[in-house]
Amino acid sequence: MRNYRHILLTFFPVYSVIVGLFLSGIMMLFLGENPLVVYRDILLFAFRDIYNIADIFAKAVPLIFTGLAFGFAYRASLFNIGAQGQFYMGCLASVSCSLYLSFLPKPLLLSICLLSSLVLGGSWGSLIGYAKARFNANEFLLSLMSTYVAIAVMNFLIRGPLIESKGEYPQTDVIAQSAWIPQLISHTRLHIGLVLALLIAAMAYFILWKTTLGFKIRAVGMNRNAARFAGIDEKKIFITVFFISGAFAGLAGFTEVNGIQHMLVQGFNPLIGTEGIGIAILGNAHPFGIVLSALLFGALKVGGALAVQVSNISSSFLGIMEGFVMLSVIISYFIRQRIMIALEKKRLQEESKVENQ
Amino acid sequence: MIIEGLLSRTIQMSTPLIIGALAEVLVERAGVMNIAIEGIFLLGAWAGFVGTYCTGSQIVGLIAAIVIGMLVGLCYGYITVKLKQHQIVTGTAINILAAGLALYFYRVLFGVPLLPLTVEPLARLNIPLLSSIPVIGEILFRQNILTYMAFVVVFVLHWLLFKTKSGLIIRSTGANPEAVDAAGINVDTVRFKAVLCSSALCGLAGAFYSMGFLGLFTEDIIGGRGWIAFAICFLGNWNPIGAAIGGLIFGLADATSIVIQTSGFKLIPNEFIIAIPYILTIVATISRKEFRVPEYLGIPYIKEGGR
Amino acid sequence: MVIYMLSDDKDIIVELSGITKYFPGVLALDKVDLNVRKGEVLALLGENGAGKSTLMRILYGMYRADEGKIKINGKVVNIESPKDAMQLGIGMIHQHFTLVPVHSVVENIVLGTITDQQRSFSIGETAKEIENLGETYGLKVDPRATVNQLPVEMQQRVEILKALYRGAKVLIMDEPTAVLTPQSTEMLFNFIRDFRRAGNSVIFISHKLNEVLEIADRIVVLRSGRVVGEMPREKATEQELARMMVGHELSGIKLKAENNVTLGKKEPVLRIENLKVKGSLGHWAVDSLQLEIYAGEIHGIAGVSGNGQDELAEALYGLRLVSEGSIFLKDLSLLNEQTRNIIDQGVGYIPADRHKEGLVLDMSVEENLVLKGFDVSPFSRKGILQENSIRRYATEVIESYAIKTPTPDTHVRYLSGGNQQKIVIAREIAVAKFLLIAVQPTRGLDIASTEYVHQSLLRARDEGKGVLLISTELSEILSLSDRISVIYRGRVLKTIDRRDVNIDEIGLLMMGVTTQQ
Repeated sequence: MRNYRHILLTFFPVYSVIVGLFLSGIMMLFLGENPLVVYRDILLFAFRDIYNIADIFAKAVPLIFTGLAFGFAYRASLFNIGAQGQFYMGCLASVSCSLYLSFLPKPLLLSICLLSSLVLGGSWGSLIGYAKARFNANEFLLSLMSTYVAIAVMNFLIRGPLIESKGEYPQTDVIAQSAWIPQLISHTRLHIGLVLALLIAAMAYFILWKTTLGFKIRAVGMNRNAARFAGIDEKKIFITVFFISGAFAGLAGFTEVNGIQHMLVQGFNPLIGTEGIGIAILGNAHPFGIVLSALLFGALKVGGALAVQVSNISSSFLGIMEGFVMLSVIISYFIRQRIMIALEKKRLQEESKVENQ
Repeated sequence: MIIEGLLSRTIQMSTPLIIGALAEVLVERAGVMNIAIEGIFLLGAWAGFVGTYCTGSQIVGLIAAIVIGMLVGLCYGYITVKLKQHQIVTGTAINILAAGLALYFYRVLFGVPLLPLTVEPLARLNIPLLSSIPVIGEILFRQNILTYMAFVVVFVLHWLLFKTKSGLIIRSTGANPEAVDAAGINVDTVRFKAVLCSSALCGLAGAFYSMGFLGLFTEDIIGGRGWIAFAICFLGNWNPIGAAIGGLIFGLADATSIVIQTSGFKLIPNEFIIAIPYILTIVATISRKEFRVPEYLGIPYIKEGGR
Repeated sequence: MVIYMLSDDKDIIVELSGITKYFPGVLALDKVDLNVRKGEVLALLGENGAGKSTLMRILYGMYRADEGKIKINGKVVNIESPKDAMQLGIGMIHQHFTLVPVHSVVENIVLGTITDQQRSFSIGETAKEIENLGETYGLKVDPRATVNQLPVEMQQRVEILKALYRGAKVLIMDEPTAVLTPQSTEMLFNFIRDFRRAGNSVIFISHKLNEVLEIADRIVVLRSGRVVGEMPREKATEQELARMMVGHELSGIKLKAENNVTLGKKEPVLRIENLKVKGSLGHWAVDSLQLEIYAGEIHGIAGVSGNGQDELAEALYGLRLVSEGSIFLKDLSLLNEQTRNIIDQGVGYIPADRHKEGLVLDMSVEENLVLKGFDVSPFSRKGILQENSIRRYATEVIESYAIKTPTPDTHVRYLSGGNQQKIVIAREIAVAKFLLIAVQPTRGLDIASTEYVHQSLLRARDEGKGVLLISTELSEILSLSDRISVIYRGRVLKTIDRRDVNIDEIGLLMMGVTTQQ
């Protein structure tokens, strides 16, 4: 009986998504649009043909990574707001390898690019973890600032050593074919990076729930005090978690540079970090939830972009929908807390009644 | 001449940063981080522009910016102070929503014009007499009204925080809310009011970006400067004077980078000059011992024990 | 019950009558009557949980009584909040100061009166007033000093000045000497005498007999929410007071397990020498403590809370810094070791607060059971959790400890307090190869669960482990311990064998009175 209720409560994020979409629908009414028509259009267009469906997944790939980045750290009660910067570091690593090692055979080259983006993103992130472990610094602010520093480094390199041969725009050359991630479905934008993303999501799940490291991470996240009493070294956890989190974000650099853009342009994908946070929140900081949320956002982007062309709804409405959904998720946390506390009180009262008999 | 122009521009570009940083100082002294700052900046810019464009009156624009700031503050304050939800998560949600709302309602009203619509930007107000002082006059006293307001607010906030009852209460709420509670004052109410005031100021700061510069609005007109103001609060040690100095540093970096770029001076790469303030903030965050973070910053106040 | 009637009712400033207070599951105060006269120091004496703090919090408006009424100067009043109490001239000096550490003395005192409309806000003026106040009562403090730079006794002065500045005529002091040195205590007493001479009153909550006998005019003893004794100072004796506090019933408590075979061997498993540990306020919580625990014994630490027991336990587990001294587990030094190492050496720890320190409420029963052991075989191999082994182990433990839970997977949050504690016990006994430290192990538990915990501790002892039992429940200590050490002000006053136990002596020792009998 108790578990049944517990499961019901776990699906709260789904209810909140529905509430969020519902609220957006109401807003549409006020703006003179028929929400049912709009949602229908979005669905129709999102699934219109293979290209679009594939695009949903393609758009979801980097979001899965940045969502995992925030969500993984969140499990340790840590706030990694620097996914954007770690992503850029990953981009730099991958594009550098692609440009300078293009003579290598494809599988080797891609592996190196993958590893480099992972390592650089992770190292960049672990600096934050170290600062927190050593100085008890505020990781929110540190990670926020680290993004700007990463942007500075990236801009410097893109305008300098890595600049395109023409030297005209702040971007790199297009990378050689040998550095392009193969497509998953031909004639679409979907590349094998999707497989990587899903694997990494599965790995995140595995780490968190099937390994001793994940056990420590969750314990530290849920009750830091009790973890200390149990002899868990929280400082090591801070550094490790931020490395892994940064590595996840770095991998998005690999997939976006080598899979979609095939070059690195200044100011590229500037919102991935923030959207990752939103997706992690929506997905309840759980890898599977994150994958689903990323797909949802991907669908909204693809379907929405096309629905814009035919209906009166402006593309920017998507941002509003995202925002409403997130807010309703947050409020739903509050409601859920209240429900749990009320249930807890009832249980305590029943208990003391039994004892006093 | 160049120096004068540079410094004048510095003051100009520092204005919204200083106002935003002051707003953040106010609210963080009470123990709450206003994570929605970036979103409020954006909505403030939007409201300022829309208000001015639709009514032709800049005053209406400024008031609209303040009002919308307060509305967002109402939302954010309610969820984080009363419902005691997590500040970072809530703020992020609001920022995403704000970005969507601002852009959407711009498009709804104006469509996607070929050339961005403009309004008359805030005029330079030359303060009589003072503006005639050589050098200083040019730099300090030929700015727009928001800049003068920023100057004033620096001193007003300093006076408020350190010389008044309310200021003592606010500072105590962030340093030890239990002491405030023991004195019979409602901690949540103090924090909620601080959030409202702070958000109003942030709206005003945001309006500077649309009304104070080129008189137009685009979706990335803020471009992360709300976060800079957030960082300045930290860098300035939660002190209004410190915030002003921090704002000037960033404004200087901004102004200098343009000059350096155009002059071709390449000792330190320009990108890194821009990054200096962020690096400074990182240093400040790490050497926390010398910097006085309000002890209970970010922690919702839950009364223990009971009646 | 011993009551000496008051000779007259004149000059009663505070009158509490018929005060009753329920908390979920317990009757905290049972029709308590209490009077305080002008110009008197009334000591409120009692053990932990007797109801002293609860009663005073009702007077101060932090709690609401369920029955009874309060009269100030003869008039019935309704005290709904500390503000009301302060307006009636009642001030309270809490055990945990409500000061803002980063602000100055003046700012803190002003904050206390900030809701009073008449008071103007001028730091300069207030500073002067505080200096004058300080002069009058011998409580000199630099008004401009920052609170966190001041030593503990000065911080307490600021708390007192806060109340005086508001015109308090009745000061409630809750265990004020807990963090003071003997010298500072004397200065505090001088202040109390001056304060009383001016016609004001002090309600002095304490468990320290010698201090109470020095400063009080009248003494009231509470036990289990009732007044069990009231007398003027002249008529009080240490023995009688201690007996009232602790109660006669305890002398009948039998040891729960009759035969203790292992005790004969007397091999020390834990040796503590000259231990000095700093408390949170910078004072010496543990002050040159000596203690020895044998294998196969339950060694109880008796003492009123706040005498260093908690700090001692934390220091033993690597959770608090030890400044001086030594800790030896058999031949191994555990001084300032990492908690992980201490666990690996076979030391278990049942913490005082199972929710904050003992369990991760949102993890499952089985996860909590392996919270300390998950990193080794068979529960994990090469960093990967072996779920089958964990499940098997959990199922065994659930059965052998009769833990009531729907499944091993259920989150601990949903279990009753007793079952939660069983999980902690099961885990810690498994960890404790040599030593088990148990701090308030039956706090908040019902009778059946308490009994279960006790049986578990006895079983651990019978298996040859050393058990360090820290509890403020004297009955628990008496019924379980083979030897009892009484802790007072951070050191062990005396260690007594079970066979030589004398309730009166223990009661006195707990109050700091060492007498040779």
